Amino acid sequence: MAQILKTAGYSTAGLTLPTGLLPERANSIRQTFQDQGIETALRIDLGSPSRTELLRSLRRFRNAYDVVGVKCVNARVATVASRDRRVDVVFFDPVMHNVRFNHSLARLLHGALEINLIASLLTPTDASVLSRLRRTIAVAQEHNVRVVLSSGARKAEMVRTPLQLSAIASTLSLSEAASVAGVSSVPSSIIAENVKKRKPEYVEEGVKIIVSSRR
Amino acid sequence: MPRRYLLVKVLCGSAFTDQQFHDALDTSVCTHFGDIGFSRIDPRIIKSDQNTATSIISCERREVRELESALALITECGGTSVAVLVLGVSGTIKGLRKRKVR
Repeated sequence: MAQILKTAGYSTAGLTLPTGLLPERANSIRQTFQDQGIETALRIDLGSPSRTELLRSLRRFRNAYDVVGVKCVNARVATVASRDRRVDVVFFDPVMHNVRFNHSLARLLHGALEINLIASLLTPTDASVLSRLRRTIAVAQEHNVRVVLSSGARKAEMVRTPLQLSAIASTLSLSEAASVAGVSSVPSSIIAENVKKRKPEYVEEGVKIIVSSRR
Repeated sequence: MPRRYLLVKVLCGSAFTDQQFHDALDTSVCTHFGDIGFSRIDPRIIKSDQNTATSIISCERREVRELESALALITECGGTSVAVLVLGVSGTIKGLRKRKVR
């Protein structure tokens, strides 16, 4: 996988690892990617079914991961995830009919909207997935929502180059600039921001410790 | 009309023929963009190299993004699952060959 990502031209990959994985195992996986010259950002995808569970998971995992994504499985979770500043990306399953990215969520959204293009398009579904993706992109464009384009690859055959991901998004009527930013500047800024926040000297937005109080 | 040339790498578990890749490309373009879209994109496989699993494909200049999407959505070739990666786009075949060497 790491070698294929390198061939495809990626410099950083978001690794979603199981929460119960031993730190040594996680480090060895990260090392495999680093050996190929690919930086890794640890991410967690929360698929909590209720508001309280989502908030509990955010309290527990926020500081342990570089990127926190929330899979919006229902409207309540989608609203909380969009409003919460600890959430970096929200994403929707285009096959699920009970929840979709709409104008009210776009107005609330603090983080970015992630679109798993390949995972959505390669699942054996009907053409309505395409129209749902197109509608999601139209809403995001209207509200200037930051869009992250991802392959959502779980295996090597699902990897595509950043060029191809942005091409698919452009074909689905995302602007050229936003589609290029979706595979470059937007994800890298999210990771950079979170790496900064996870440093011990960080206190809050605009405030950091510059002299240690220890004597 | 000016054309663009794409260097693509096919990731596949087993070998497949040029004809099978040609069919997979045509099917993907027709499925996602229709026959009118196919005529606009006008994809042509210029050269295939089985050793490096790379091909050079050309299309109409304005339709590069459509061809890139169609290539991304190819999942099967000759009965086996594949992934087609676009490694580079150039206005000349010579430009792509340089990139391939790099």
